[in-house]
Amino acid sequence: MELDYLATVLLSSLSSASVLLIATVGLAIVFGLMGVINLAHGEFIMFGAYVALFATRSGVPFPLAVVLASVVTALFGAIVERAIIRHLYGRILDTLLATWGLSLVLYQSAVLIFGTVTPGVGMPQSNIEIGNYTLSTYLLFLILVAVVLIGLLYWLLTRTGYGIVARAAIQDPETAATMGIESGRINTATFALGSGLAGFAGAILLPAFPATPSMGFAFVIKAFLAVVAAGPVTLSGTVAAGGVLGSIASMTASFYTTVMGDVVFFIATITILRIFPLGISARWRLKL
Amino acid sequence: MRDRLKGTKVARAAAVVLALTLGTGTWADDDIKVGAIFDLTGGLNIYGIQQSQALHLAVDSINAAGGVLGNQITVIENDAQSDLAKYTQYTNTLILRDQIDVLFAGLTSSSREAIRPIVRQKKVPYFYSALYEGGACDKQTFITGASASQQMSVLIDWAVREYGPRIYIMAPDYNFGTISAHWVEYYAEQFGAEVLGADFLPLTVTDYSPTIQKIQAADPDFVVALPVGANQTGFLEQFAAAGLKDKMGIVSTNYGSGNQQVVVSPDAGEGIVASQEYFMWIDEPNNEPFMALWEEAYGLDEPIISEAADVWNAVHVWAAAVEIAGTTDNDAVIAALESGVSFEGPNGTVSMQPGSHHLRQNIYIVRGNREHAFDVIEKFEYVAPSFEDEVCDLIANPDTAEHFVP
Repeated sequence: MELDYLATVLLSSLSSASVLLIATVGLAIVFGLMGVINLAHGEFIMFGAYVALFATRSGVPFPLAVVLASVVTALFGAIVERAIIRHLYGRILDTLLATWGLSLVLYQSAVLIFGTVTPGVGMPQSNIEIGNYTLSTYLLFLILVAVVLIGLLYWLLTRTGYGIVARAAIQDPETAATMGIESGRINTATFALGSGLAGFAGAILLPAFPATPSMGFAFVIKAFLAVVAAGPVTLSGTVAAGGVLGSIASMTASFYTTVMGDVVFFIATITILRIFPLGISARWRLKL
Repeated sequence: MRDRLKGTKVARAAAVVLALTLGTGTWADDDIKVGAIFDLTGGLNIYGIQQSQALHLAVDSINAAGGVLGNQITVIENDAQSDLAKYTQYTNTLILRDQIDVLFAGLTSSSREAIRPIVRQKKVPYFYSALYEGGACDKQTFITGASASQQMSVLIDWAVREYGPRIYIMAPDYNFGTISAHWVEYYAEQFGAEVLGADFLPLTVTDYSPTIQKIQAADPDFVVALPVGANQTGFLEQFAAAGLKDKMGIVSTNYGSGNQQVVVSPDAGEGIVASQEYFMWIDEPNNEPFMALWEEAYGLDEPIISEAADVWNAVHVWAAAVEIAGTTDNDAVIAALESGVSFEGPNGTVSMQPGSHHLRQNIYIVRGNREHAFDVIEKFEYVAPSFEDEVCDLIANPDTAEHFVP
């Protein structure tokens, strides 16, 4: 095996893992901090992608469009939390059904409003050469995005007032309430954060993964598996599970076939859950 | 303007839904009943909505011209919701309860294979209108889309001459992809080319980097890419961004069939070569009136896809056969269809091959431009479905019910 091929495989498996992480982290936050399984997560990604797409096409510079998409999707998430989710806390199956219904509504609305195809924004046509191979600069850039994103989230949830309150509200709702924390508002904020992260994912991935009504479906299966494999320590667990699963699958796909890569992803998930039934982070002593 | 556009789209979609719920309304007793099952919702509706629109347009045009055998045609339609099980269910309902005279249905090969045994047993003529991997052979089934051998024969020949003899294949991981890949190998050998490798992608995969690296490692002269559904257009975007389009050609038999050229950016879409039986941009005498009719009914915000032309041709070929037979009776209509019915479609003359029940038709090779559209580069006239004609002769062997693979 040539060295340049090895280097490309390594870099691109890192970027594959980053894409998975970017698409997963919103789901992980909502699940980890609120115990809500949001089956509409994929459609929130799609929502963000369309916001960014239309913003870009009406002249907003792409970086600003990404910010806009995150904010708009977060606001939408806040509305959804107020209108639907808050009535269903503690009823896991009911939230599952409600968010699944929401995902169908969002998907079909997208088809009705945008049609089934909409022109995309396209990727920057720049690439980096490594020996005989080239890698898209944008996909490498996504590695950096994932690192910064995780860093920011860690800071937000451990070092800011909101983060401490949000974790308190989920760890011990009663004590938190007696100390004057309004868990209702915190939950709205957390769900909005998770939704905003989904919107961010849809927007930042938009150049490489064009917006289509069904795009969420492609991301959401592996995102769910990564969250389940991650276990109770939300952020670091997701980084570990998503990183391992994403890069193993991608490397397998590079050396064998893409089908094999998918198979390995599922086998690895099953193996992790067989060894750690509560997820990879079940015994970690990390806060987040 | 934007809002008005959106408004018409919503209204159009609402009309489809309404037509669905009211579809089983009243009809006169001597009306001829056409059954339709397409994917109007769910992931496959990038094809199904236009298939349904084409069916209604064709039926309306026939009705406006006096109907078939002097009777009006009524459409009874169901939405398969991109769910395979619905095809079996609705085929049975349409035949048993609604007593349809003919069925137009399906996009995926699996949907066709689900329907085929039912129409065979119940003796209802069935039209399948989508490009596909080829090889279906059944007395009751008629196919108006192009088969893989029909498209591949001209495309591989053209690409080998244009780019060179070293080929890599990217295909979806189900029978359309694997059988199409087999055809690539078959024609590669015939034209003195070589397949260096192939990667099959499950439809849920979003990670295309490994495929792109393997393509670079193999260093082919051109890639045969068969992305299915809107999601796999991401592959084309990443292929271009990695700079591979400057180094090799990229050709496809199904790119454009779901309007993928609209989704990809100009940088990624420019130069992708596709071959199909219909593109909106072809220059044929009947294409202009067809497009005008379509624009009046549905607008042209979304380009017309080949499956729409396939359904349009199917309805007209069937109507022509009924006129010849003088009845909608199954055996008579099939005999008429096997008499070599021809029709002047938007894509030129098409005619039903008596033995194989496939359509002989033009195949166009086109190249993507920067306007989310195609330029026609070559037209192959009246291409026969050679593989199907070779293995499938339903006149000599009317009892054949097989899906031949090369």
